[in-house]
Amino acid sequence: MILPFVVAGVVLGSLYALSGVGMLVLYRTTGVLNFGYGALGAMSAMLAWQFVELRMQPVLAYVLGIIVATALSLLFGFLAGPFLATVTTLTKATATLGLALILLGVMLFAWNDKARTLRLATDTMGFNLGTRITLTQIICLALATLIVVGTSIYLRRSPTGTSMRALASDRELASMLGIRVRRVELLAWAVSGALGGISGILLSSQTRLEPVFLTFIVIPVLAAVVVGRFQSLVGTLIGGLVIGVVQAVASAFPATSPFSNATPFVVATIVILYLQRRKVVTIEVAR
Amino acid sequence: MSAPVRTTTVHQRSSRVAAWNPAKLFSPRNIVVLVILVAVLAFAPTALGAYWTRIFTVCTIFSIAAAGIALLYGRLGLVSLGQVSLIGVGGWITLRVGHATSLPFEVVLIIAAVGTGAIGVLVGLPALRLSGLNLAIVTLMLAGAFEVIFTVTGFPNGGDGFLGRAEGGVLQQPLARPALGTSDPDYFRYVIIVATLMFLVIGLHLSNRPGRAWAAIRQSEAGALAAGIGTVRYRLWALAVVSATTGVAGGLLAGNAGLLDPISFKAPASILLFATVLIGGAFSLLGALIAGFLSQGLPPLLNALGVDGNLIFVLLGVGMIQAITTAPQGIAGQLQGLGRLIRVRVAGVRETRRTGRTPR
Amino acid sequence: MTGTLVVEDLTVVYGGVKPLNDVSLTFERDVCGLIGPNGAGKTTFFNVLSGFAVPAAGTLTFDGDDLLAMNAAKRARWGMRRTFQQEQVIHGLSAWDNVRLTAEHTGGRRSAVDDAIAFVELEALDRPGSELSMLERRLVEIAKTVVGAPKLVLLDEPGAGLDQAETERLIGLIRRIPGEFGALVILVDHDMDLVSTVCGTTAVLDFGRVIGIGGTADVLASAAVRSAYLGTADVEEPA
Repeated sequence: MILPFVVAGVVLGSLYALSGVGMLVLYRTTGVLNFGYGALGAMSAMLAWQFVELRMQPVLAYVLGIIVATALSLLFGFLAGPFLATVTTLTKATATLGLALILLGVMLFAWNDKARTLRLATDTMGFNLGTRITLTQIICLALATLIVVGTSIYLRRSPTGTSMRALASDRELASMLGIRVRRVELLAWAVSGALGGISGILLSSQTRLEPVFLTFIVIPVLAAVVVGRFQSLVGTLIGGLVIGVVQAVASAFPATSPFSNATPFVVATIVILYLQRRKVVTIEVAR
Repeated sequence: MSAPVRTTTVHQRSSRVAAWNPAKLFSPRNIVVLVILVAVLAFAPTALGAYWTRIFTVCTIFSIAAAGIALLYGRLGLVSLGQVSLIGVGGWITLRVGHATSLPFEVVLIIAAVGTGAIGVLVGLPALRLSGLNLAIVTLMLAGAFEVIFTVTGFPNGGDGFLGRAEGGVLQQPLARPALGTSDPDYFRYVIIVATLMFLVIGLHLSNRPGRAWAAIRQSEAGALAAGIGTVRYRLWALAVVSATTGVAGGLLAGNAGLLDPISFKAPASILLFATVLIGGAFSLLGALIAGFLSQGLPPLLNALGVDGNLIFVLLGVGMIQAITTAPQGIAGQLQGLGRLIRVRVAGVRETRRTGRTPR
Repeated sequence: MTGTLVVEDLTVVYGGVKPLNDVSLTFERDVCGLIGPNGAGKTTFFNVLSGFAVPAAGTLTFDGDDLLAMNAAKRARWGMRRTFQQEQVIHGLSAWDNVRLTAEHTGGRRSAVDDAIAFVELEALDRPGSELSMLERRLVEIAKTVVGAPKLVLLDEPGAGLDQAETERLIGLIRRIPGEFGALVILVDHDMDLVSTVCGTTAVLDFGRVIGIGGTADVLASAAVRSAYLGTADVEEPA
């Protein structure tokens, strides 16, 4: 009976993709590959759980969690953005490891790493289609598809989207063209944080509500972004789905099950090596 | 992105004097280091007490791995986020070979160094073709993958089979410590001496031909190629040296308790260690010592002060961002700056103003 | 006596454009110049020669040695030296170690490093690269090109960022390279004064093609070359 695993994999994969899109929007606008992205989602999920425990209206709790993730992302972009604009892509990414550590530390301090469960109201609704599919799973899938398509259209059509793409190709030129670079960048931090928050809550309902686990979900998400070659939203969606399905199916068999979590590494490494098969030495001077 | 790119420079000591000069061995700096070393070996275990001696043993072991990270980051500009996994590999080999044979511990350490070096090169062979960001991603994923593998295989504890696991009712058996370091204070001294040897290996590489080639590669791949440097070969050599010394660190860690737990080799540990290297300073071996202390000595210290151990993540996260943005030379750089200042004051020599310096 | 570089039917294709189109030329004595308007293909030509770009067609031979059979690092060990428009002095190494680096990877001896340093009359030997003045950096670059038995030295705007007096010091050095080290020197520069003082032979590239080659004075005076330069106002008349 492999069908339940495939379904779970598709849902998980769509969430990887949803996170990946948030990561990609930020990377393409600011050049920052946010290693702290998983931690933002984890924070949002942990807060949502905490608020529900405190008997808050679930929907309100989720929204609050997402708002906090957005605010944290925005705050980091606001404080670190001006510095990050002046350094290499590698240094930008390295700095976000600091963000990941800080958020992780705060979460472990506040909640420790015990396994909890976040039950969404939509978990109990669903229907049978050979295997049981919950409304949450439908929402995950629909949301991921919607956001990938929506973001693609937004980036291509809207003035802000155009600015973001301009920034991605040349920051200085964009500022000379009168684009308010700082505002567009902060917008990207906010959007990315919100997407991280949403996917964090959904991921915690589909997997485990543990700060460390959710923080390191950044690994499969990165893998999805790598499959999208750091630029294609559709590629990221496909990458997320493939990784999710392979991982879930691998966990169905006793022989491969323990290693299923190594899937993102395998997929991303293959893709990276394939993309780099022809190495060109660029003559540039870094100083 | 065409914004101006900031880089940090590290100044390698020039070695224009004839290659082997006995006078160089007794430079004031080396004498100070030697005196400190002897003092540590003689008095530290007594001064520290049993508990902190054990802690500093582990700190010293991790500083070897930190020196490897520092070499890759400071000299080659490579970010490797999976170095704690390599400690695990070295530890696994040590336990496996140690249980299977009756070879002296030192020989087992050498086998662990060679084995880990080989695995590091094997993994790095494809990864070294990657640009900076991709290498960081791949090594992070590697850390995740190794976490999975270690959890599945566990570490050898005297059982049978390839994995050497004793499960169920069978009593697990720790690996015996080396004959030269059976007690905690002796093992501390043993670790200090091995670590000094590893630092020497790394230091000699840095101040000689490989170090110069690495400096060239870090600054500009094109410039290095134009100077006739086989860039792939030198990168692989760096990886081999770093993996081998990190493997020795793993061996020492395995020898310390005789057993290893997969829980010590999870991905966050690698990132924490990387953060401590940035904070301690990636451009000197002093930085690696500081990093070793920050990663393994700070948590028990916070504990002793009654601070929640999880706050170490926050502390190191903030420290890492601070190091990246304002102190690229790390704590070691600041200490060395201070030392230089004091020396200048004491000698009463005013730094001569350097002429002909171009504004940039 | 310097060797002879023979370039035949060299074509480089980047996507849809051809930065070099069917270039054939021979450089055979002392210091040769390569000039042309911006985007003419001069740097691409250097990149192909030194192994940083792969041509779509054509051959490169130097005294019968097939250059294309070697990669960039191998060519350096063979005797190719090049400088880049942006100087490549390594910040973390002292001036002396900068020169030594090239020597130890191209089979140069320790004495060759001393000779090269003495040749450029560099004094700031122990200062790190990051603290050198622009002139000192350019001198280090020249010193790097003459260690370890060079056969072919490519200089890409070696005098960029220098003032008149400094440029003259550099000119003096460049002229002495063929005689003292036996290497053929090819010089790319926008400074027509520099080219006409130093180069015996000069080739002119325009839109990836050779539009003139010969004695420097004749080439600079020819009608085709003048018309190629008409659009670019910043070029001085040759003296």
